[in-house]
Amino acid sequence: MPKRRDIVAIVLIVLPWTLLITVWHQSTITPLLATRKGTDDRRDGRSNSRNTFAFKESCSLQNRDIVEVVRTEYVYSRPPPWSDVLPTIHVITPTYSRPVQKAELTRLANTLLHVPNLHWILVEDSQRRTTLVSHLLQETGLNYTHLNVETPRNYKVRGDTRDPRIPRGTIQRNLALRWLRETFSPNSSQSGVVYFADDDNTYSLELFEEMRSTKKVSVWPVAFVGGLRYESPKVNTLGKVYGWKTVFDPHRPFAIDMAGFAVNIRLILSKPQAYFKLRGVKGGYQESSLLKELVTLSDLEPKAANCTKVLVWHTRTEKPVLVNEGKKGFTDSNVEI
Amino acid sequence: MRLNLKLISNKDYKTIIPKKQQLCTQMYKRDSPLLLWYFKRLSVVSGQRCDCTEHDMPKDRTISRLRGEMHRLQEQMRKSEATKQPQKQAAKPSQPAIFVITPTYARLVQKAELTRLSQTFLHVPQLHWIVVEDSPHKTPLVTDLLVKSGLTYTHLHMPTTKDHKLQEGDPSWLKPRGVEQRNEGLRWLREDRRAQPGGDNQQGVVYFADDDNTYSLQIFEEMRSTQRVSVWPVGLVGGMKYERPVVEGGKVVRFHTGWRPTRPFPIDMAGFAVSLKLVLANPDACFDREAPIGFLESSFLKGLVTMDELEPKADNCSKVLVWHTRTEKPKMKQEEAMRSQGLGSDPAVEV
Repeated sequence: MPKRRDIVAIVLIVLPWTLLITVWHQSTITPLLATRKGTDDRRDGRSNSRNTFAFKESCSLQNRDIVEVVRTEYVYSRPPPWSDVLPTIHVITPTYSRPVQKAELTRLANTLLHVPNLHWILVEDSQRRTTLVSHLLQETGLNYTHLNVETPRNYKVRGDTRDPRIPRGTIQRNLALRWLRETFSPNSSQSGVVYFADDDNTYSLELFEEMRSTKKVSVWPVAFVGGLRYESPKVNTLGKVYGWKTVFDPHRPFAIDMAGFAVNIRLILSKPQAYFKLRGVKGGYQESSLLKELVTLSDLEPKAANCTKVLVWHTRTEKPVLVNEGKKGFTDSNVEI
Repeated sequence: MRLNLKLISNKDYKTIIPKKQQLCTQMYKRDSPLLLWYFKRLSVVSGQRCDCTEHDMPKDRTISRLRGEMHRLQEQMRKSEATKQPQKQAAKPSQPAIFVITPTYARLVQKAELTRLSQTFLHVPQLHWIVVEDSPHKTPLVTDLLVKSGLTYTHLHMPTTKDHKLQEGDPSWLKPRGVEQRNEGLRWLREDRRAQPGGDNQQGVVYFADDDNTYSLQIFEEMRSTQRVSVWPVGLVGGMKYERPVVEGGKVVRFHTGWRPTRPFPIDMAGFAVSLKLVLANPDACFDREAPIGFLESSFLKGLVTMDELEPKADNCSKVLVWHTRTEKPKMKQEEAMRSQGLGSDPAVEV
């Protein structure tokens, strides 16, 4: 019967091509995805064994715990190519000159290089833009804006101390907000999120993806602040923030750290008077000084699984002990650190 | 009608041995022209051309001619595959792998430190991270972190013996830290690499990276070309802005350091890398935990290399590409107060 034969023929033609296409698809496009699948399987396997064998890891895994992730063919482009679809994350980082500055900015840049559609606004606390920061920014290849503004020094006190009444980084953050307002008009269809990232904190990559969907202001827990393991907003069963789980003054309007919230850029642009208060701000109230101009408690969007996961850590770097430098400086000051 | 054909995917094509089959046109006498068109284009079927002495039909002659063309094309394909393959194999081991051994221990900032370290390593191609926990068993925190990191890794653990462990309140310089863990990393590496093809001639570099330091991406490219032991400056260490080897005429002549410069190798753990060949060739070279303070690196290096054999990197040791940063211990005053009231934070939330 010719009809059946033709059907068989068509099947025989289509089947190997689909097989070939799936094989090609797997081998050329992202072996990373394949490895992620592989690692997921392994993770499930391990979690199962953990449930059944109490806390003991099986000894057979001891020497075989190699995840041979095949990444030889994966070309990592940094930063990731710009997407027309994703909202931009504008990260505002105030920074100031000190021995660990280059190290901090280096590792922060290494983190930010993984995040697509990221715009880094680095504001130096200095009279003019330093070559250290300029070179660093150029070499990273990130999409950046380099600004600078000097915190007024307290001339009454001897030495080069800045005015202690102004919380650190305030003027720099305000300058960045002003830059955003001057650069983007409120009517433009810009979609984006503004995040204040200090240069010594630690950020997981998941955090940036959580904040991308911010409509007004989103919040999440932050580790190592307020003398606690973590501070977090209190979220009720309806998914609304109704309070703050902190010990240090939980009755602040917004008892949250600078690293614990992100604002939609349209909100920033639509309220051009909202800035961080410069003077007369009590300790811990700086974030509230901005947020109370922008949003109310009920408008807050909890992220990080209803504020149950910690995705950002308020780490602080020790001040290095430079005793052996002596008065004149032992090392060559031309070498940049 | 029996269809005597074998469909093979492109993957198997290289390994399959073509079978010499006597395919007769007679089989396809009653087939559709569609099938014939198909066979002409998909050159997976191998076989010998029928000489058509038995049948001698014009259709069969056309078919056998077409099949002859197909075989010719197949041969051409096979030849081009043969020339492509050695190129592909040569491209694979393009860069020597960097084996980074990181000892780590549980404390509040551990997850944060390992997170940002993994974010740096994710940029470095051909990097194999060997994480050794100072713990009697592997912790779920590190296990999950490594799985999610997307890196090539090995997860080991080796607890420090009690008498060598720092007690609460001890200054950090009192006892050498991470010794057993680094030795365990070396032991695993030697065992694993010996089992690989290439034996002791494998390309690779071994680097000891502590979890609280800061690494630029350039340092990994600098160390990749290590033949024996390469060295470079380290920032913010030894009580100075940086410590570095002094290079004259392309060779290390002395070390610029403010603390005990008479040590055999007054260099920080983050300031040198050893080639894999050297590590495999010296199976007994390891860190001596009885070494006096500051002599840990020397205890390892003195058995491997002499000062004039050191290879200076980072532009003749004039650039700082790695910093010995240390992270503050977070203040837990309120946490402790809450815990005493029974209101401590949820321990199920991993920090």
